[in-house]
Amino acid sequence: MGSLAGAALLVGHPATAAAHLVTTGMGPVYDGAGHLFLTPEDLVPVLAIALFAGLRGPAAGRRAMFLLPPAWLMGGLIGSVLRVGAPASTPALSFLVLGGLVASDLRAPVAWVSGLAVIVGLVHGFGNGAVLRDGAGTLGLIGIVAMSYVVVTLVAASVVSLRVPWMRIAVRVAGSWIAAVGLLMFGWALR
Amino acid sequence: MSGSRRFLLVLLVLLVLVGTRATVHAHESQPGMLDIEQLAGDRFEVLWRAPIYFGQPHPAHPELPASWTTVAPSTVRELADSQLFRSIVSVGRAGLDGAVIRFPRLESTTTDVFVRLERLDGTSMTTVVRPTKPWAQLRGERSWRASAADYLGLGFHHILQGVDHLLFVLGLLLIVEGRMTLVKTVTAFTVAHSITLGLATLGYARAPLAPLNATIALSILFLGPEIVRRWRGETSVTIRYPWVAAFSFGLLHGFGFASGLSTTGMPRAELPLALLFFNVGVEAGQLVFVFLALALAKAFRVLELRWPRWAELLPGYTVGSLGAYWTIQRTVILLGVLR
Amino acid sequence: MIRRASRRSAVLPFGAALLLASLPIPTSAHVERGPATGFLTGLEHPWSGLDHVLAMIAVGLWGAQLGNPAIWILPVTFPMVMAMGAMMGLLGISLPGVELGIATSAILLGAMVAGEVRPRLAVAAVLVGFFAIFHGHAHGTELPPGQNGMLYSMGFVIATGCLHAVGIAIGLLHRWPAGRLVMRGTGAVIALMGVRFLWRALT
Repeated sequence: MGSLAGAALLVGHPATAAAHLVTTGMGPVYDGAGHLFLTPEDLVPVLAIALFAGLRGPAAGRRAMFLLPPAWLMGGLIGSVLRVGAPASTPALSFLVLGGLVASDLRAPVAWVSGLAVIVGLVHGFGNGAVLRDGAGTLGLIGIVAMSYVVVTLVAASVVSLRVPWMRIAVRVAGSWIAAVGLLMFGWALR
Repeated sequence: MSGSRRFLLVLLVLLVLVGTRATVHAHESQPGMLDIEQLAGDRFEVLWRAPIYFGQPHPAHPELPASWTTVAPSTVRELADSQLFRSIVSVGRAGLDGAVIRFPRLESTTTDVFVRLERLDGTSMTTVVRPTKPWAQLRGERSWRASAADYLGLGFHHILQGVDHLLFVLGLLLIVEGRMTLVKTVTAFTVAHSITLGLATLGYARAPLAPLNATIALSILFLGPEIVRRWRGETSVTIRYPWVAAFSFGLLHGFGFASGLSTTGMPRAELPLALLFFNVGVEAGQLVFVFLALALAKAFRVLELRWPRWAELLPGYTVGSLGAYWTIQRTVILLGVLR
Repeated sequence: MIRRASRRSAVLPFGAALLLASLPIPTSAHVERGPATGFLTGLEHPWSGLDHVLAMIAVGLWGAQLGNPAIWILPVTFPMVMAMGAMMGLLGISLPGVELGIATSAILLGAMVAGEVRPRLAVAAVLVGFFAIFHGHAHGTELPPGQNGMLYSMGFVIATGCLHAVGIAIGLLHRWPAGRLVMRGTGAVIALMGVRFLWRALT
């Protein structure tokens, strides 16, 4: 019962994310790029969707590369207008779902990758929007989006280019780690 | 014929886009300078050169320790590219060793500040204040490692913020064919700009800023048509020997890098160290950019990306149009300066 | 160069690594202390108990002995089952005799490696999963107060995975007859240590 109430609270409660971006001293665009790298809640889902898209082949990689960044930008713009944070459970859920998909190496159609990329981009971008509003603003968002594009492209292409079977297994192991972290995060939140 | 018409169209669109908002202020923000010079006993002259920041007076201002008292009221001189604040302070009996000078609001800018302290006994110290560390502690001597790390970071920041330099390098990458040519071209650019950076820093050569910036823009504009020519499978001297262009224009860009390393009043002994590590920082930033561009290009091939024709031409037109835009903008500035 | 296809090149992974390495440098000074220590605490936790370390190495060794597909099914499923065990702990579901369970799994897993036992995959999976639940329950819930749960979890999972990798790396010896003997000997040692842990837990 208690945990159920906790779960309800969790989903409804906005995240209390870091209130300001990192300072790189090189302007808001670089601040945004650095933000993505120092925020595992955002970086790991980007990595996970890239790994999954890479496992599904070049076409899926292209979809992720072209859909995630615009969705992220859109989500960020919406988030900065609406003045609400994303639910606190967003990272845990992304970790669990995306990590699980990578670990299982599910033979999903390319459309799945497209849908997931759009959802991940919208949701995590939405969360960024609230953080950026008081700091770096839209330029910071552009930095985050540009960096997510670079990360997705490089990681997905790296996975596509893997030819040795055990390297693909290593990718799946990484996915299972991500899913396990997601499960643990749910546990911490429910405690 | 239609190619040149399209070029003009893209140029126009970009001009409108870039012109409406002044987002591309490449290299117009100079570093700041704080000079503290001992006059007698506990009297020090504090000189703060605040660069004009995006057309406005700089938001940051040094905050001296509370124990210091102002003896003579501060005066302000307005210069073309900066404001000069001068005041005379008494640091009290405690002396100024260990005193901390803060720079509130520097963290929200992209300006680096050189801090220099000179005592009557001839000893001096220099340090760099950055937006990530907006304070300076005054002390006797600094370890050379601390200075080296400062200058390394300075160079790294300088190149990654210099959109015009990065665009020139990108243009070279788009022309170059084959790995050996790539290595030769990047090396030629590196050697050339290191030469002029060294000459300018050591004071053997000087390039006035306004014409220099206009010529650097011209070097980018020069690459635009070459990229398009390369895309059409045509050839030219630049395409066959890209390192020649890289070397000759690299000489120009070196003067541009030197503007990021303000050495006025720097102790002679520290000059070689500053020059070396600033240059290493610039090269490191340039290599990060080159490898990132190559890795992305390789990723596009692995993902079997097939660009539509207009998108294939986009990089060439972008480099050319931005080069043209900057050339016009900086020539206007140049003429304004001359007038 | 940008357009030309080069045959094989290390540029891609190198570029990614460079990106990772170069960006956080100027900013790392800004990370608050709490979260970063959370990651380190999580990272060192699985190494703190010898019983856990040995059992985990035994998992890797056994997977290497069993060969395909066990060698990759085990490390892929283990973290998730382990997280399940930790979930149980976090939700307040108590697991009786955690120390006993881990000591027993060290004995069993060690014995399996020593005897090069080859049960059906399902049996092996259940045995390893049993241990994974105990392991997660014991360690996954020990977050020091004031530290970041997510970073602790990441450190914890990564350290566990690295211990598997140690076992699998030793398992590369399996190709040579002498190496096989070494592996079986290691298994026997782990089983003996397990007996000792069991003795300590009981008395």
